[in-house]
Amino acid sequence: MTTFAAIRDKVRASEPLSLADGVALYEHPNFMEVGALANEVRERLHGDRTFFNRNMHINATNVCEASCMFCSFARLKVGDAGAYTMSHEEAFGRLRARIAAADAITEIHIVNGLHPGLPFAYYTELLAGLKRIQPSIHLKAFTAVEIFYYAKKFSMTVAEVIAQLRAAGLDSLPGGGAEIFATRVRKKICDDKCTGDEWLDVHRTAHRMGLRSNCTMLYGTIETIEERVDHMLQLRALQDETGGFQTFIPLAFHPDNNALMKLPAPTGTEDLRTYAVARLMLHNIPHIKAYWIMLGVKTAQTALWFGADDLDGTVQEERIYHMAGAETPQVMSPAEIVRIIRNAGRTPVERDTLYNVVAEGAALASDKPFRRDVRRDNLKLEVVS
Amino acid sequence: MSASPTEDARPALAAPEALAALDLFALGRQAAAARDARWSGRGFFVRTRRPETERVLPFLFRHGESDAERLTRLAEIAASAAPPSAIIPTPVGEPFGLDTLRCFALCRLALPRVPHLHADVTTLGPRLAQMVFGFGADELYAPIVAERALRLGDNANNPSLTRKEAVTLIRGAGLLPCERMADGTLQEVTP
Repeated sequence: MTTFAAIRDKVRASEPLSLADGVALYEHPNFMEVGALANEVRERLHGDRTFFNRNMHINATNVCEASCMFCSFARLKVGDAGAYTMSHEEAFGRLRARIAAADAITEIHIVNGLHPGLPFAYYTELLAGLKRIQPSIHLKAFTAVEIFYYAKKFSMTVAEVIAQLRAAGLDSLPGGGAEIFATRVRKKICDDKCTGDEWLDVHRTAHRMGLRSNCTMLYGTIETIEERVDHMLQLRALQDETGGFQTFIPLAFHPDNNALMKLPAPTGTEDLRTYAVARLMLHNIPHIKAYWIMLGVKTAQTALWFGADDLDGTVQEERIYHMAGAETPQVMSPAEIVRIIRNAGRTPVERDTLYNVVAEGAALASDKPFRRDVRRDNLKLEVVS
Repeated sequence: MSASPTEDARPALAAPEALAALDLFALGRQAAAARDARWSGRGFFVRTRRPETERVLPFLFRHGESDAERLTRLAEIAASAAPPSAIIPTPVGEPFGLDTLRCFALCRLALPRVPHLHADVTTLGPRLAQMVFGFGADELYAPIVAERALRLGDNANNPSLTRKEAVTLIRGAGLLPCERMADGTLQEVTP
């Protein structure tokens, strides 16, 4: 019998939690207690420090061979209504516009559909051209699903694909495409994507080649609690092996404009609980990111007390979640992010993609006066099980 | 079962300075305990409201206010000769998520004579409206409808909930879903 008190003791002794522990945390009736325990771990690892970066997104094409049921972004064929593929000049223009606007962005996040007609050189030239414009920019590009697709399509090994992309300017991999590793779920919701093992193997290969990456979990479709916790455990096992993951990002399913829209969206406490369980299960992954684009600013801010220590970035031009009905803005200024973090009683730290500190403390101005509404003088509290 | 709260169930009220000094979880835990002491772990929804017997008072709060400012205004309500039967915290402009959670907890703790604290789905959205149950709210305030179209397009901000959705949200927050009936009785929803 797994009790909350036993789990709490394990967490405080820094012992890894089991599948049964994870399920018990999901089923514990009081989400506040689970959150308070996750907050202990978050503060043990990071104190009040809360990270963000200055980035932009490029989704170069939404033409995609895969027809995942949860997706509102993909257009299956060139010429379908809403289908687009950026020319290189269009993509480069996005970056030049940021530079012209004096945005000191440090990262471009690039995720695309699985376009059947583009040559491999499209991707290498995309990376190389962005680097020519701003050599210091960090290119976090192509999910494991895309890398695996290129390997099959262009008859290369995964390592060869990564090596060539890296030669063109690739710096790290984003964490997307993991969805839920369980075969039962993948067969139903994303049968065209690589398997869970193949996804993990792309990251294993990237880590062995010295690249860092992130990892994600899509929750709220048809998966069970056990399948969520199992997903986290598979990520944790690979992290034990390679140490290459920086950040875990839980992604809530958005039910608009896709084939699963009859499902209810995850609820507010389910979001918070998933952040908390992730922080508690993934003791060896340093950061948990509350992706504000997807959660909404209010929930993302609250998640900073339920295990999350990162808000992602300023983000320009996000399309994938907005086509699924996200009503968040597509951009926040660094000052807005700083204000949200300070209002939460946390300490903002601007990072680069690899979590080197870019700016903190007084160097991070928030453009309007804020008030420290959350007091922190009374932190040592008994967690009641 | 009677819906009228018993005076004895009220926990002792902490001093305002003490409340403002509490961190998020401590404040939430106290507020939820005060709610549970009064309502035995129930979370309510209402299909048929009776405006003639309920006095619902909005409590406007905005971004940038301190806990102390909110507590001062709450003290005035608490001191009134005939306190309302329910308080409905209402954000003005765009307070942050954590502002909202703290505000709910303060309302619950500072107003021991107000039985109900409503989570208004219209102003908070369904996510935040559920979260405030961790901070002392006891009732989902939303039209309960037999059927609602998907929240798409023009319908994206429709605050209506089906009975099943209301029950799911309340249960997901760890409370026992319970309908307040038009005749004043309480009807628990068993799983």
